[in-house]
Amino acid sequence: MSATWCWEVQRRWMLANLGLALTLSVVFLLAPGALYSQQSETTVSVDARKMQELFDRIDELEASQKQLRERVAQLEKAQSVAQAVPAGSASGAAGSSSAPGGLQIAESSSKADAPKAEPPPTGQAEQSGGTGEPEHMDVSHTALNIRGFGDFGFYGGNQKGQTSSFSLGQTNLFITSTLSERVRFLTEMVFEVHQDNAFQTDLERVLLEGSLSDYLKVSGGRYHTAIGYYNTAYHHSTWFQTATERPYIFEYEDEGGILPIHMVGVQASGQIPSGKLGLHYVAEVGNGRTSNPVAEPVQNYVDENGHKAFNVAFFARPDAVPGLQTGFSVYRDVLSAPASPRITETITDVYAVLTRPRFEWLNEALMIRHTPAGGHDYVTPAFYTQISNRFGSYRPYLRYQYINASSNEPIFPQVGLRTGPSVGLRFDATESVALKLQYDYTFLRRTGPIDGKSCVQLSMCAPSAVAMQVDFKF
Amino acid sequence: MRVWLRTVGFLVVVGATLALPREQRAQAAPSLSERRVNPDHTLAIVVNRKNPIDNLSFNELRKIFLGERNHWSNGHRIAIAMLDYGPERRTVLRLIYRMDEASYQDALLRGMFRGDVFVAPKTLASPTILRKFVFNAPGAIGYLRLRDVNETVKVVRIDGLSPEDKGYRLQIDEPLDTKGSE
Repeated sequence: MSATWCWEVQRRWMLANLGLALTLSVVFLLAPGALYSQQSETTVSVDARKMQELFDRIDELEASQKQLRERVAQLEKAQSVAQAVPAGSASGAAGSSSAPGGLQIAESSSKADAPKAEPPPTGQAEQSGGTGEPEHMDVSHTALNIRGFGDFGFYGGNQKGQTSSFSLGQTNLFITSTLSERVRFLTEMVFEVHQDNAFQTDLERVLLEGSLSDYLKVSGGRYHTAIGYYNTAYHHSTWFQTATERPYIFEYEDEGGILPIHMVGVQASGQIPSGKLGLHYVAEVGNGRTSNPVAEPVQNYVDENGHKAFNVAFFARPDAVPGLQTGFSVYRDVLSAPASPRITETITDVYAVLTRPRFEWLNEALMIRHTPAGGHDYVTPAFYTQISNRFGSYRPYLRYQYINASSNEPIFPQVGLRTGPSVGLRFDATESVALKLQYDYTFLRRTGPIDGKSCVQLSMCAPSAVAMQVDFKF
Repeated sequence: MRVWLRTVGFLVVVGATLALPREQRAQAAPSLSERRVNPDHTLAIVVNRKNPIDNLSFNELRKIFLGERNHWSNGHRIAIAMLDYGPERRTVLRLIYRMDEASYQDALLRGMFRGDVFVAPKTLASPTILRKFVFNAPGAIGYLRLRDVNETVKVVRIDGLSPEDKGYRLQIDEPLDTKGSE
C-alpha cells in the first residue's frame, strides 16, 4: 500500500518537473528569436548615411591604430640604439653600472632595462646601430654618478701656540658623468674648513675628458698636475691614502704646500706602444701657479703672465712586476713675483712605487729649482719614502720625509729644513669607515706656521704631533 | 727452452698487433674526451658578433677587465659587462682580477678616482640580459657560462683555446648558484 502510494507521488512529481522543464526550454528557445526579430527591426531603421559614418569611424580607428604601431616601433628602435650607445660607452661609470655603488641622478637605465626582446641573430647591424653608433647627449640618458668621501679627527702638537683641536677635514663629492662613448665629465666638489673656521667650497677638479684611443686621451679644465706619483694617485680624499695626511711636499697650495698641485689648462695622456714595458706619457700646458703670496694660489681665470707652464711625465708599469710603477716628470714655469725679477721654476721628480693589495712602498724624490733673472739658482731637494703592509684590517705604516730649502729661497723662504719620521696605523673598521692613528716627529730648522697657516692637520709643522682621524666614504 | 722462446715471441707479436690499434684508438680517444666539457662549469668570454677579435691572451684579457686597455682594434670603446652576483662573477674576480669582491670595488673606485678607469663596468642582473647587452653594444665584452651562450654573441678564444678545449682556464670550481643562471 505504502509502496504504491510512494511510486504514485514520484511519478506525479516527475511529470510536474518535466512540464516545467519543457516550458522553460520553450521560453529559452523562443527568446533569442524574439530578440533577433527586435534587432532586425532596429537595423532596418538605420539609414545609409549613418552606416557611412560608422564605416568612416572604423577607418579612422584603423588609421590611428596603425600610427600607434609605427610609433611603438620607432620608440623600440630608438630605445635599442640608445641602449647600445651607453653600452658602447660602458654605460658609464655613470650608468647603471656598478661603479662602485655610487649615487646616480637622472638615471634612466637600470639593471633591468636591458633590451626588451633579444633580436634574431640575423640583421644585427641594423638593430645594434652598426659600427658607427651615434654619440649624443640625451637628457634622459645622462647620469651623474656621485661618490662622497670625508674625514674628521683630533689633532695636537707641541708647536708654540698650537692648540689641540677637533677638526673637520675635507668633504668631497666626486662626480662623474659619461656624456658619450668617448667623453666624460669629472669634478671634485670639496667643502673644507680653514683656520678661520668658516666653510669654503672649492671645485678642486673640473675636467672634460675625451678618450680617443688607448694612446691619446685629452682633457681640459682644472686638474692635478702630473708632477711625480702622489699628486695624481691621491686627490682630495684621505680615504685612499694610507697616512692621515699627504707628504709635506704634496700638501695643497692653500694649506702651505710648495708645489703647483693644481693646474688650469689642457692635458694629453696615453699609452706608448711598448709591449710588456707598459710605457705611458702625460703632457700638460696651463696657467701655472701665481707668485703673489696673498692671491688665490691657482690661477683659475686669469694668468698673471703670458708664459704658460708645461709639464711632461713618463712612467712605466711593466708586466713583469705587478704593482710596480716608475717614472719621472719635468715641470717648467716662469713666476713674476712682486718686487722681484722673473723667476724661472723647474721641478724635476723621479719615483718608484710598488703598490699591491697588501704591500705598499712609495719612494719619490724631487728637485725644485728657482732661478731669478740675473741671479743664481736656488735648489730645494725633497723626498719621502713610505712603506706599509696590510694584516687583515690593520695596516701599520712608516713614512720618512725630508725637505731642505734655503733661507733665501725666493718663493718659499719659510720652509727651511724639515725632516723626520711618521709612524701610524690604519684600521679598516668596515668597508666604508677607517680609523687612523699617526705620530709625527719632525726636526725643524725654524719653527712657526707655514705661510701663516695653522698647524692643524699639517704634516711636518710641529716638532711632535699626534693625529687621530676617521675616514669614510659614502 | 725453444718452447719458451716461441711462446714469448708469439706473445710479443700478438701483443704488438693488439697494441697498435689500441694506441691508434688512444690517440683518437683523448681528443674526444678532451672536448668533453661541462657547459655549466665553463665560462666563455663573449663579445659582440661584429667585433673582429677572435683570440685574446690571458694577459690581454686581464688588462681589458682591469681597464688598462680601453679600445678594440676597430676603434670601438670597450664596454665591460659583469654579472651582478653568482659563481660566474666570483670566478672572474678570482681568475681574471685576482681580487675578492671588496678589493674589486675598492680598486674600481680608486681607478675611477685616479682616472685610470674611464668608465666602470656595467653590472647586469642575469645572463640573458648580459647576452642582450653584448648583442647590442658593439664594444661589449662579457662572460657567460657555456650553456648560456647562443649564436647572438661571439665566443673569444683565450690563449688560443676555446671553452671546449682541454686546458681552458676559465672554469667555475664552486657549487653552482642557480639564482645566477637562467
